[in-house]
Amino acid sequence: MMDPILIGLTGLALLLALIVIRMPIALAMIVVGGGGVMMLNGPALVLSQLKTLAYGQFSFHGLSVVPMFILMGALSARTGLSTALFRAANAWLGWLRGGTAMAAIAACAGFGSVCGSSLATASTMGRIALPELRRYHYSGALATGSLAAGGVLGILIPPSVVLIIYAVIVEANIVSMFLAAMVPGLLAVILFILTIAAYVLIVPSAGPRGSATERREFIEATLGILPVVVIFGLVLGGIYAGYYNPTPAASVGVFLVLVYGLVRRQISLGVLAAVIKETAGSTGMIYLILFGAELMKIFLSRAGLPQATAAFVIDSGMQPMLVMILLLVALIALGCLLDSLSMILLIVPFFWPVLVEANGGLYQGSEGSGFGMSTEDLKIWFGILALIVVELGLITPPVGLNVFVISALAKDVPMIETFKGVAPFFGAELLRVGVILLFPALTLWLPHLLSG
Amino acid sequence: MNAGGSKNNGRTGIAGAVGRVVDGWAVAGGLVLFLVVGVNVLSVIGNILWKPFPGDFELTEMGVAIAAFSFLPFCQLHGTNVTADIFTSRASPRWISAFGSLASFVALLFAGLLLWRMFEGMLSQREYGYTTAILQLPIWVAYVPILVSLALLLSAAVVTLAEGTTKSEPVQSQ
Repeated sequence: MMDPILIGLTGLALLLALIVIRMPIALAMIVVGGGGVMMLNGPALVLSQLKTLAYGQFSFHGLSVVPMFILMGALSARTGLSTALFRAANAWLGWLRGGTAMAAIAACAGFGSVCGSSLATASTMGRIALPELRRYHYSGALATGSLAAGGVLGILIPPSVVLIIYAVIVEANIVSMFLAAMVPGLLAVILFILTIAAYVLIVPSAGPRGSATERREFIEATLGILPVVVIFGLVLGGIYAGYYNPTPAASVGVFLVLVYGLVRRQISLGVLAAVIKETAGSTGMIYLILFGAELMKIFLSRAGLPQATAAFVIDSGMQPMLVMILLLVALIALGCLLDSLSMILLIVPFFWPVLVEANGGLYQGSEGSGFGMSTEDLKIWFGILALIVVELGLITPPVGLNVFVISALAKDVPMIETFKGVAPFFGAELLRVGVILLFPALTLWLPHLLSG
Repeated sequence: MNAGGSKNNGRTGIAGAVGRVVDGWAVAGGLVLFLVVGVNVLSVIGNILWKPFPGDFELTEMGVAIAAFSFLPFCQLHGTNVTADIFTSRASPRWISAFGSLASFVALLFAGLLLWRMFEGMLSQREYGYTTAILQLPIWVAYVPILVSLALLLSAAVVTLAEGTTKSEPVQSQ
């Protein structure tokens, strides 16, 4: 009989190999996870677990909010909400140098508040803002770079699909996670806008001033975002205030966006079918990944790998902060290979026990802990940091899905220009990670304040 | 990484028929999701005005599970499952086609295995008479559409295997 740890490591190597040869990540996890448990415990156990495992997971109530928010995002993209957001942001910021790009960032943030996915945010706002940016003769690099970067706001500004899934795996309170994400999300908006301001200061031709908006258009455009404010307020405000759980809240969101779309006469049967198909593509993919990750988790914990990793890191005697930084760097590196969801699902079960040990154990209070905070707080703080860094993979080479999405929309801008345009925003993101690392209070004060 | 998706264009004959059934089944699953939305909205309104919708929790669980399974064949057929393309972007078309066939073959085995096991699962749920807590709905009933979804996943994997490649173009899905 082989050493379980060795079987576990072989499994991980095989998983990477399968992913490299284009096996869908979910299937690779299913094959390695299922096969691994069979090797460790014999086939009978897996075969008997498969009778109910998938249903148990697909029907888990904590996850039901995920398809709801995906549906809400898909509907929002087709109801004119996104256009209204951009129009208002442009009325406020368009007259500044680089203002239309700033408006695109603000609109991405606004859209992120009704949509939980980075790619959906980038592609939706890209379609709307890109023609405007080109009309004002923005440079290709700045126009596409700010949109690709703006997309990552979708993941941090609640509701966010990956955030929900992180909360489910580490058993964190979703409401606290949403609250914790607010300030870091707003920080990103501010840093991105400052990045554009600095960019056009250095290269003035990249982002010319737009025309000032006349008073009437200004008021009309501003009023246009009222529906978004109302929907965001009812959905997340209701969750924060404890009126309802996330799933009913998301359902209310879907319903309100649907009503808005019907009132604006944007919804037809064809649109609904397209919305459902988009939801089907994302939801099916996510649930299959969740299933594969569950099999991987069973396999790896039976092989004892997460425990061995935690013991190894603790025995090395590294400072807690160094451990945290190394973990974040590892996540950034893995972003070249895996999508953000798979990364959170595969890696967090490894990294989380390490951080718990470094902090002093699961029931550690803030006194005398490795990170100077209770393990409950560490859960939230690490979640936000992990979420930011896994999304960096969306704007960095070699993969950079957000960049691909925007490049596909802006056919006249070479992809290398987009990567150049996105580079300053990457710098801003690293700055943000640093600030959040140094000042955990930025993340934690809002959940603390509202939980009393 | 690539989250792709494309229309059923170009598929004819049996593959085209499978494609239409798979698409229709996913849309039906989407309607189930809308029903779940409706139940939850009614429950929220009921909670404020009168009393909560009974069993909204378990209806959500069942409905979302049925919907999520119904989306799996759609993902297989349209290649929306995420893959890492970057390492093999310079591989010859023959290799890429071989990788795609391997992925389809694995999907086919997985669908077959899960179909078999969940059929057994349905039988045991029925034998033991498991029901939901409040509405006393038999759980095995939810397995029926799920088994149909798995059978369609199997057919979709046969189609993609026969086509020899998994097509994928970037789209907006996460």
